[in-house]
Amino acid sequence: MRVRLAVAVLSLAFLGTSSGMRASQAGTLPMPPPSPKSYVLYVAEDHDVRAGRRTIVELRFRVANGFHVNSHTPRSELLIPTALTLDPATGVTEEAAEYPAGKSYTFSFDPSNKLDVYTGDFMVKVPVVASAGAHTIHGALHYQACDRAACYPPKDLVLQVIFTAR
Amino acid sequence: MIVGIALMLWAGWHNLRARRLAMQKAEENHVVLVPGAAGQPGQVEEGDEGEEPSLRGKVAPGFSLTTLDGKKVSLSDFKGKAVLVNFWATWCGPCKVEMPWFQEFQKEYAGQGLVILGLVDDVDAGKDTIAKVAQKAGVTYPILLADGKVQKAYGGVDVLPMSFYVDRNGVVVEETAGLGPKDEIEAHIKKAIASGGGATAAGGQ
Repeated sequence: MRVRLAVAVLSLAFLGTSSGMRASQAGTLPMPPPSPKSYVLYVAEDHDVRAGRRTIVELRFRVANGFHVNSHTPRSELLIPTALTLDPATGVTEEAAEYPAGKSYTFSFDPSNKLDVYTGDFMVKVPVVASAGAHTIHGALHYQACDRAACYPPKDLVLQVIFTAR
Repeated sequence: MIVGIALMLWAGWHNLRARRLAMQKAEENHVVLVPGAAGQPGQVEEGDEGEEPSLRGKVAPGFSLTTLDGKKVSLSDFKGKAVLVNFWATWCGPCKVEMPWFQEFQKEYAGQGLVILGLVDDVDAGKDTIAKVAQKAGVTYPILLADGKVQKAYGGVDVLPMSFYVDRNGVVVEETAGLGPKDEIEAHIKKAIASGGGATAAGGQ
């Protein structure tokens, strides 16, 4: 079976209603309104897999240029880890997400304090087993971003991962 | 030595950053998806955005908040004083760099009428954690638990650290977002102390 991982890009603030989302897959997304205040994007990608088999779904994210977010395993308990939550979906068995290792980073004004962050593109892998048919997984990426001299309150990047099993 | 050199480099960079700050702020808030071909990733573009509304020149919004030990503190308690209202969070690295500076300035300028109030944004971190972070930074000025309303009153506070320098008349004379040089902070404090000394505090105060 072929599972097509269509794309849900960005937060619901960008996308409007969920009914509109199905018609707004990669390549047909409407231009978003200004001022999204999102520092991380969820990037589109297609996957072809066989039905009923454990498949690694790769969710690609992009941190806006000049910013960083804490990795899933930041070095201080005070820091907010990047974490993906996916709701249960009928016909889909999800395993725990697998996160990439972070990169070492220090603020120039505090070089002794080493951080573990994601910058640029990073990928979160989610093992799933999907049955035949169309599936939608609702979820969110929780993250907290900073640039070189300021930080921004934690955000939830709400997303939908849409599967079409063939 | 290493720290000193790093601070010098950072100070130099900050001058450049000051020029770029408005542009960067616009970029960070204006991420635009460009539709790609079917099955291809979307592209990210960044563009300009209008500046956030400023409180500079306006009466500082009043507030009444609770300290870590349960006392009520209001901006209006400090009529006739210059007040530095600083928003921070336990997860904010830049915030924790400037807090010891504020402590120094509190001691140095208290006699000239300066009051510093630290408004913690992430109240859900818990009082114990907040107290530990404040203690580690050496802070003895009041730490107030922001209630959500005060953040809205001060423009949303979507950047940390964020500081508002309120003069003796209760008017915001400077506001800053992000970590700035220590001497710039001191200059803002002096401006707040020197401004509005001849009148009774008004508005929010």
